[in-house]
Amino acid sequence: MMWLPLLGLVIGILLGLLTDWRIPSEYANYLSIAVLAAFDTLIGGIRAHLQNIYDEHVFVSGFFFNIILATSLAFLGVHLGVDLYLAAVFAFGVRLFQNIAVIRRILLTKWLESRQKNRL
Amino acid sequence: MTRKTIWHFTFVSLIIGFMLAIQFQTSHEPNVRDTRDIWEIRQDLKKEQELHKQLLHEIRKYEETLEKYEQQRSENKGAILRQTVEELKKEAGLTEVVGEGVVLYVEQMYDESYVGPVKDTVSAELLRRLMNELNMYGAQYVSIADQRIVNTTVIRDINGVTKVDSYPLRSFPFEIKVIAADAEKLYNRLKASTLADDFAIENLLLTISEPQSRVVIPPYDGTVRVKQMEAVEDARR
Repeated sequence: MMWLPLLGLVIGILLGLLTDWRIPSEYANYLSIAVLAAFDTLIGGIRAHLQNIYDEHVFVSGFFFNIILATSLAFLGVHLGVDLYLAAVFAFGVRLFQNIAVIRRILLTKWLESRQKNRL
Repeated sequence: MTRKTIWHFTFVSLIIGFMLAIQFQTSHEPNVRDTRDIWEIRQDLKKEQELHKQLLHEIRKYEETLEKYEQQRSENKGAILRQTVEELKKEAGLTEVVGEGVVLYVEQMYDESYVGPVKDTVSAELLRRLMNELNMYGAQYVSIADQRIVNTTVIRDINGVTKVDSYPLRSFPFEIKVIAADAEKLYNRLKASTLADDFAIENLLLTISEPQSRVVIPPYDGTVRVKQMEAVEDARR
């Protein structure tokens, strides 16, 4: 069951490549921000799951809300003449790194624990 | 991990994958490398410049046309129609034409000692040949013995008398008036042609005048009968 999300990712990529959709280059910024937001949510969800504080409502609502917020921020930035999307990039980037670091530590701890158990 | 959670993650990762793929495709348009050398680039530049020139030319042409149309629209429509009728009449030979040209005189040429039958007309073949040559040399308007030659004019032999549109050519000398865009050229070409010799064979003397700045050619006085023509169906309708 654990491989299902990975399969979903692969299927999504294949779908995207096969449909041969292209968005106009002026909207590429929005999509990249959306991708970043989605990634942040996904990694955050994994971390929350590992820390046993996962809540599906938070996860799903966060996914869509983050994407919409990030793109609207970018949109606002374009219309204000300020690169506001950089704020989103920065925020999501930092959170991404933090979350991945937490996941790494948890997994490392688990792995070390299991190794010690095996040794005993 | 519950089943529901797994499906949520799958769903989210599917959307992420989809977005990633689209983003990838958008930002990775295959960029074709330019491998032309300087000569090829120059040639392409020349081609583009020519295209540019051509396009400018076309733009100017269409602008002129547009301007003309607008001008015409502002004018009276009846005036345009009348003008068109005038132009068509001129083309059909129903108006008097004045212009630069050459006058040919045809007269009989017999020795004083000549005895025998005297031809009192010029053969239709010779006249047709003359007409062909004149047309070849750039004649625009022609009249033979003050009979305007139009597109439907017939030159034929009727009972031994040559007639131009039913007007007999019996009295010598008669004049053939020719108007051309370049009278000098027409004159030189006529001089160089064998027409005078051809006339001489029929005992006729063809004299070609120097180019004249004012030659008047009368209008065609018959009625133009349209037998073989039909109005073109307007395809736009």
